[in-house]
Amino acid sequence: MKKLSLSMLVLVFLLVISACSNSTNNGGGQQNGQDGGIENVKITVLNSKSEIHTQMTEAAQLFTKANPHIQVEVISTTQDQSPVERASALYASGNPATLTMLDTGDIEKFADKALDLSNEKWVSDLAQQFLIDGKTISFPFAVEGYGLIYNKQVLEQVAGANFDPASINTTDKLESLFQSIEQAGIVPLYIGSMDWSLGNHLLAISYATQADTDVKGFIEILKQGNADLVNNHAFNGLLSTFDVMKKYNGGKDDPMAVIYEQSTASVAKGEAAMTFNGNWLITELLKSNPDGQYGFIPVPVSNNEAEKANSSVAIGATKQFFLDKEKSTPEQQEAAKQFLNWMVYEAEGQDFLVNKANVIPAFKNIELELNNSLAIAINEYNLAGQSIEFAGNFVPGDHWKVLGASMQKYLADKTDRAGLAAEIEEYWKSIQ
Amino acid sequence: MLTEKKLTRKWGTQLLFTGPTLLAFICVIIIPFIYGVYMTFYKWDGISSSMPFIGFDNYASVFQDSKFWASVWLTIKYVAASVLLINVLAFFLAYLVTAGIRGQNFFRTAFFSPNLIGGLVLGFIWQFMFNVFLPSLGESLGWTFFTKTWLGDETKAFWALVIVTVWQYAGYMMVIFIAGLMSVPKDIIEAAKIDGTSGFKQILYMILPLMVPSFIVTVFLSLQRSFMVYDVNYALTGGGPFGSTVMASMHVYDKAFQRFDYGVGQAEAFVLFFIVAIITITQVYLTKKLEVEA
Repeated sequence: MKKLSLSMLVLVFLLVISACSNSTNNGGGQQNGQDGGIENVKITVLNSKSEIHTQMTEAAQLFTKANPHIQVEVISTTQDQSPVERASALYASGNPATLTMLDTGDIEKFADKALDLSNEKWVSDLAQQFLIDGKTISFPFAVEGYGLIYNKQVLEQVAGANFDPASINTTDKLESLFQSIEQAGIVPLYIGSMDWSLGNHLLAISYATQADTDVKGFIEILKQGNADLVNNHAFNGLLSTFDVMKKYNGGKDDPMAVIYEQSTASVAKGEAAMTFNGNWLITELLKSNPDGQYGFIPVPVSNNEAEKANSSVAIGATKQFFLDKEKSTPEQQEAAKQFLNWMVYEAEGQDFLVNKANVIPAFKNIELELNNSLAIAINEYNLAGQSIEFAGNFVPGDHWKVLGASMQKYLADKTDRAGLAAEIEEYWKSIQ
Repeated sequence: MLTEKKLTRKWGTQLLFTGPTLLAFICVIIIPFIYGVYMTFYKWDGISSSMPFIGFDNYASVFQDSKFWASVWLTIKYVAASVLLINVLAFFLAYLVTAGIRGQNFFRTAFFSPNLIGGLVLGFIWQFMFNVFLPSLGESLGWTFFTKTWLGDETKAFWALVIVTVWQYAGYMMVIFIAGLMSVPKDIIEAAKIDGTSGFKQILYMILPLMVPSFIVTVFLSLQRSFMVYDVNYALTGGGPFGSTVMASMHVYDKAFQRFDYGVGQAEAFVLFFIVAIITITQVYLTKKLEVEA
């Protein structure tokens, strides 16, 4: 008995000891000693694209080879951990990463902790500016875009060998394209029923295509409850296009059963011509058909050919780095800036972005050829200036879920346009 | 002298055995709870350096949040259905596997095993069942009831949640009922048999009243667990379709961690705690009154 309790005490003691020693390990090692005149610096990078953790670690090693006095440690979020959750946990423990990669919409929350990067060289090479309070406080890592993805082979078979996506610039033209696809015995399109896709991507197009204001301005109007959606031109135009899409939706008998994997596989195999999604779909498309070629058709919002939105796809930087100024030393800040510059201007860094991490870079000076058809298409739209804002970057964190559900109702004909408009207005009024 | 020594030894033993648990309990339950209540008086997004005091504003928002009350009402309906079905089924199963049928030990294990699988995994398994297996079964057998996925319809998705919950907990409650059934004195049942009571009457007048202590435990456990459901809700329906199956816990989580409104989320969590506490205390108090001596 006595022996048992003694051994238990020892066990508890050991646990406490190990817990303590663990934390001291983490606390130390922020900065290493002197080495040949230049001070050694260690920076940490929190990567929230968990799928490129290996590539990012390799890039960090390459960078250290070129800059021996800078050590870069890469930590990644897990697959289903939100980047904000991890970043705020690191801040709460007083040990934040020097560079933190977040979803663009979350950068603003960290604005008071982020270093002003407006004077960096790469700012002038950005294809699209992203300003918070008039300042550049984040480094756009990956650009993404979305629209109607089409299978090139199928559309060339239906609409002729020189099919040009730019020729589809009104709702009516889209409908006649759907008709001719249907006549050819192919499913015109599948609308994936994912709430994030319908809420933060499709619906958000109506925020980005307002005639007299930008996304942030329109969101302010929505919050004040002054957006009369039922009579709003862009909102109605988008929903008219959505009605056409619903009419030709291959899964219209059970629209909620159309899931991500299945809609993608149908397009990849050529059973369907189109689906609504973004360039990230390429990984899934290539799984079903490694040789497929795809492109983007913009989602039209009116029958006016001259309207810019009808020939533009939604594009934005969806992952951005911010540089911590609260806990990082000036040396670490310099080193982190150097790392960012390395990605934009050094051959090895560019190679990492484009070929290893497979992202579309946000910088005009990078001329490496992208390695898949969807990325190339987005990049072309982006460099040609044929882009509207990626409005999902500016909405609150539960927007995709709440309004995605409302869009699903509309998709499944459980509500009409007025009901949908009322739900959207109510949601925005509840945001302070 | 001697008594003092005895006293310290007594305290020492107590501390040795309850100390670690007590410490863990205080660290992971009591302190976060108090901190949570403290947070309901502040406006905070979880990150910002500023955290202004706003008094009872968060509670005011809770009472204006119609979606929260809708989710609470939905949870109450779900709890009512689950608690009833779990206990009826569990009692039936327990009666069955103590009746001396062949291979009853095997059945006991089999019925209990769903409880060993975590709620998340269960949710994903059943999602496959409802989305793929049942529709294809329905198609090949021509049962229109199953041809469309249950998770795409508001009412059916609700019942899908209830079914999975019942499946998960019935086996667990069954084990408690088995213990209760075993402790029913044999002489009473024998006397009843000699007097020629039917099996059904035996259950109704002898076994059930003597098993009230078991029911107190099972009803309490099933009440509390279904009120707090999150994992099955998350993995099976994710709150869908059309946001129609968002239970109270999920609503609170979304408020705090999706919209980053910690104050209101915490206040809602506290209100939910209050509701659950009142209901479970009432339940235990009322059912205690039903207890009888053999």
